[in-house]
Amino acid sequence: MTEYDFPECTSFGSVIRFALELEKAASNVYDELAGRPNLASAQEPLKALSETHRKRSELLEHTRREKLNEMILEPIQDLDSSSYVVETEVPEGLDMAGAKAFAGKIEETSSRFYVDSSKTAQSLLAEAARILDKMGKENEAIKAKLESL
Amino acid sequence: MALLPEVKKDYGRIKNYVNGEWVESTSSKDLDIENPSTGGIIGKVPMSTADETKAAIEAAQDAWLSWRETPPITRARIFFKLKELIEANFEDVARIMVQEQGKTIDEARGETRRTIENVEVAAGIPSLMMGYNLEDGAAQGIDEDAVISPLGVFGVIAPFNFPAMIPYWFWPYAVASGNTYIVKSSSQVPLTQWYLFSLIDKAGFPPGVINLVNGSRDVSDTMMDHPHMKGISFVGSTPVARYIYKKCGENGKRVQAQGGAKNSLVVMPDAVLNRTVSNMLASFYGCAGQRCLAGSNLVAIGDVAEPLIEKFVEASKRIRMGYGLDENTNMGPVVSAKAKEKVIGYIDGAEADGAKILIDGRGAKVPGYEKGHFVGPTVIDGVTPDMKIAQEEIFGPVVSYLRMDSLDDAIDFIHKNPFGNAASIYTQSGRHARDFRYKVQAGNIGINIGIVAAMAYFPFAGYKDSFFGDLHGQGRDAISFFTDRKVVITRWF
Repeated sequence: MTEYDFPECTSFGSVIRFALELEKAASNVYDELAGRPNLASAQEPLKALSETHRKRSELLEHTRREKLNEMILEPIQDLDSSSYVVETEVPEGLDMAGAKAFAGKIEETSSRFYVDSSKTAQSLLAEAARILDKMGKENEAIKAKLESL
Repeated sequence: MALLPEVKKDYGRIKNYVNGEWVESTSSKDLDIENPSTGGIIGKVPMSTADETKAAIEAAQDAWLSWRETPPITRARIFFKLKELIEANFEDVARIMVQEQGKTIDEARGETRRTIENVEVAAGIPSLMMGYNLEDGAAQGIDEDAVISPLGVFGVIAPFNFPAMIPYWFWPYAVASGNTYIVKSSSQVPLTQWYLFSLIDKAGFPPGVINLVNGSRDVSDTMMDHPHMKGISFVGSTPVARYIYKKCGENGKRVQAQGGAKNSLVVMPDAVLNRTVSNMLASFYGCAGQRCLAGSNLVAIGDVAEPLIEKFVEASKRIRMGYGLDENTNMGPVVSAKAKEKVIGYIDGAEADGAKILIDGRGAKVPGYEKGHFVGPTVIDGVTPDMKIAQEEIFGPVVSYLRMDSLDDAIDFIHKNPFGNAASIYTQSGRHARDFRYKVQAGNIGINIGIVAAMAYFPFAGYKDSFFGDLHGQGRDAISFFTDRKVVITRWF
């Protein structure tokens, strides 16, 4: 079982770390669902959703390296990360509806995290804030895709 | 949260890099390299001898003639390669920096980015180094050209607070413009440069073009005395900057010597308080106050004083201290036990002078890091301009809170201080901002920004006792420092 380490969000680095954990969790959940025999008909789209989240991790790594400006590296004091921790252990015996509900919850929570953290990140860097905000909106699009399966 | 892994636990005894080779120093004197967060010893740095320094300078001199004949575009390509190498090892550079200096991983990543930015700007050397000319400039039929030429061997004597970036304010510009170079990194934090030299080694610089000599005063003095050395760049304290400026002047060398600072952040009644407080936290507590651009005096104008101090104290209490490899950490330790003792001495002095300690970082403890040199965020109210704490550089996370009636009073206070490194104003008034930037005698001015750190394509400036010299590090200033203008007047019969 993959271990996740969702940190408190007190700095730019820890916000990005939290986001990376969310992406890793989402990607692994879709992989897990894609491997279930009873969901074989949706295997390809589920794998594609996993790949989408893996690519988003790359974008986050890039943001951490390229968009960080130490001149405005302010502490983050108003983001309660505990409300964005997601369930990562996929229950046994999920049918398609259950799978959608389980993964959809991750997308919803992630979307909320990105939108809220983008507001916080505005004090750090507008560009980082835009990326986080865009990722939050993408979660909604991913959820719509998931529901259409 | 789990700590990010350390790159190594023990780096052993580091070597010098001379003439394209890693060389063991023959010195019998080593210093321990301490991790300031844990108090553990993570390596040893040799105090290289004068003869070893001379050998590096001679190798650089030998390399110079063919290096200056290397076309600028070819020189630039090696910098592109170096950029790739640093990018590929970005995280290791940042983590080594955290291990030896104590800053947070975010700060170290930010510093690594700035290091790379200097390489990127220096890679533009074919454009940056162009001269100028004027047809018929001397007389009819007589043209005049100014050609920009490199001069020879230069060197940097670097400080402990920015182990990666500060040598990169200088050497990429020097080497890109056709000079050769000696880096003497701080003996407190030599590992980051040592690691960066392992990347330099792979980038393709010819032997002798760029050299690393670890050590202390013997190395510095040899660099300043040696006839082949054309100039020295220095960043550190004002007394040492003054000494280096004088010694290099006596020896006929170019010099740019960045000294200490005592930076004031002025908050006007119309400032946006939440954003202001958040930004000021980074200035006062970032790098545990060990930036030459760190805020030190917080000057409140008029009736903003009470709401400002209330918010600032509240936010300061929430700064999380710890080992910088924990990504949740907002502030690491100061660099050494001696540095901690000095900072505490200033807080003791302010208390004895009658100031009121609102938040006291003297007894700070971080569980699990009892041997670390932590000083907590400290806010001191009731500071008056005549107090030592308002006048001298502390280099720790200490905020001296002063209350004044007007912007003119604040500017007058800033001007009475011998330093002139940086000053910032927080306001929504264009008029106040304009007055501040126009009147204040400091090299780096912030408007709603508390850390006025010039980007690589701008000079890192400094006035008064904060800088000795004419041309600064980074960008075009650096190119001018490392080159001279040769005038050619041409007539064809």
